[in-house]
Amino acid sequence: MIHDSLIRERLVTGDKTAADVTRDISRPILNQPSSAWKVGFTLSIVFLAIFGISLFYTIWTGIGVWNINKSVMWGWDITNFVFWVGIGHAGTLISAVLLLFRQKWRMSINRSAEAMTIFAVICAAMFPVFHMGRVWVGYWALPLPNAFGSLWVNYNSPLLWDVFAISTYFSVSLLFWYIGLIPDIATIRDKVKTKGAKYWYNFFAMGWTGSTRTWARYELVSLILAGLSTPLVLSVHTIVSTDFATSVIPGWHTTIFPPYFVAGAIFSGFGMVATLLVVARKVMNYENYITIGHLEAMTKIIMVTGTLVGIAYITEFFIAWYSGVPEEQYAFLNRAFGPYWWAYWSMMSCNLIAPQVFWFKWARTTPWFIFIMSIVVNVGMWFERFVIIVTSLHRDYLPSSWVMYAGSLTEIGLFLGTFGIFFTCFFLFAKFLPVINMAEVKSILRNRE
Amino acid sequence: MAILDKNLSLRNRNKILVGVWEDEDALVDAAHALVDKGIHIHDIYTPYPVHGLDRIIGVKRSKLARVAFLCGLTGLILMVTMIWYMYVIDWPINIGNKPVRFTPSWIPVMFEGTVLCTAYGMGFFFFWRNRMLFAVKNDLLDDRQTDDRLVVAIETVEGMNEAEVVELMKSKGAVETKEFQAVCK
Repeated sequence: MIHDSLIRERLVTGDKTAADVTRDISRPILNQPSSAWKVGFTLSIVFLAIFGISLFYTIWTGIGVWNINKSVMWGWDITNFVFWVGIGHAGTLISAVLLLFRQKWRMSINRSAEAMTIFAVICAAMFPVFHMGRVWVGYWALPLPNAFGSLWVNYNSPLLWDVFAISTYFSVSLLFWYIGLIPDIATIRDKVKTKGAKYWYNFFAMGWTGSTRTWARYELVSLILAGLSTPLVLSVHTIVSTDFATSVIPGWHTTIFPPYFVAGAIFSGFGMVATLLVVARKVMNYENYITIGHLEAMTKIIMVTGTLVGIAYITEFFIAWYSGVPEEQYAFLNRAFGPYWWAYWSMMSCNLIAPQVFWFKWARTTPWFIFIMSIVVNVGMWFERFVIIVTSLHRDYLPSSWVMYAGSLTEIGLFLGTFGIFFTCFFLFAKFLPVINMAEVKSILRNRE
Repeated sequence: MAILDKNLSLRNRNKILVGVWEDEDALVDAAHALVDKGIHIHDIYTPYPVHGLDRIIGVKRSKLARVAFLCGLTGLILMVTMIWYMYVIDWPINIGNKPVRFTPSWIPVMFEGTVLCTAYGMGFFFFWRNRMLFAVKNDLLDDRQTDDRLVVAIETVEGMNEAEVVELMKSKGAVETKEFQAVCK
């Protein structure tokens, strides 16, 4: 016999029924877009245009329009790449890792977090692809026969591992997201009135009826996909970290990178999820679904991962000193007290110090404050990548190669532009697909023990 | 074993008795009661997964996990073969006399390929088994079965006392009972 829990706090408040869930969550899809949506979408399109212009200028004129040079050959581009990939990771963490741990609070937020993963990976992929310079031969990164102009790809190179990792990650996340969406698309299919909408929702619903047989297999597939995505998400950021760690550059050549990068990725991803959801729950009236309890759980993860990242920063510093290698020691002292000290201390204060406010319950339960903190986290994590990349490169082995680096207008435009890609996709998603997983939320309306 | 699950189509069947519930617990009780009476429940349609229903109506445990394993194995073999061919057979490169066969640097690509093949292979068989394809249309027994109603479908067989079944469903909390006969094209 199953009982309703008397002590556990409800995951969905407001005494919602299944019909309420359908009505509330499909409201933005079935109705005309709100003015908030229109304003947000227009703004995103403006940023998308900035991306288009910057990209066109980059391709048309050549990679020289970026300020990268022979010493700092990775600048804003790879900083942005790692930044966006990192953001993507929270989506998989929420949907896969929390599913394996049977954390039911994930159910209200996994859909939007997974969508975020997919859009963030699209943004991330832009940077290494266009950093290739001659993007029209970008297919040389694929394992194609020598007759295509290149030799076989180099399996010893982490950059190639990245090609496989990012494309697998994107494809598997997309499949996971889509399979999760099917029951909800079917719900929308049975609600929409116009002919065009009926056709398209029916098209993507794949004939879903909610049969018990299908549900049983669906749950098994979700579980296996979660089991696959968990090592996958760890592997992706591990591989991204090996882009640096397998090199011999002081400041990069450290074995702590994989776990440190993964923790950082989860940290930044939860930052972005919090940014999006604090706004979405208010604008879309989802306060009963994405409750203060959800925000609190996310802030706890932000605090833990932020502290992990902070410990990694300190460990790196300690190991640099303890290794006795002068180059390593110099690299780290230069990070903290060299010309880019402001970036280093921005990173430290945003990622290690700032999240400590979440020890206080007030900070964990006040949405506007969480929103501000989530922005701080995102800024801090961008600076982390900037610090790792630029401070390690700008002091080359030969002092004659020492340079300073700052992003050019085109690089800044590309970065701001990716927010255009991200938010344009997100606004379209919020208009045409249910932002909250209706089927899963319906299954937790009763507070089972 | 045929991959496509024929149970999922409601076409070419006898008349179906439909019972509609609005409460999950009542439905589970009703399903137990029906099965205890020896009535074969063809399927139950729910807007969200109700755990345990598959066992009650006698759906066997899915073999998709094994399929996923085989797909993963295929992926792994494909990747090893690919790297082996490119690195060892077609164009071996001598890098400081280091070994070229099965170095740890192969592992990331092998792993990613395995995951990709597992996920997509399993997804492919999942869709196939469940009769799911873009734009497929299936019969719905109730307009709200993807919204908030839980629908039991019982296929009539010869000698079945239909009135008794309907009465049992009503007594177990069905808010509505009806009959359904798929239109065959």
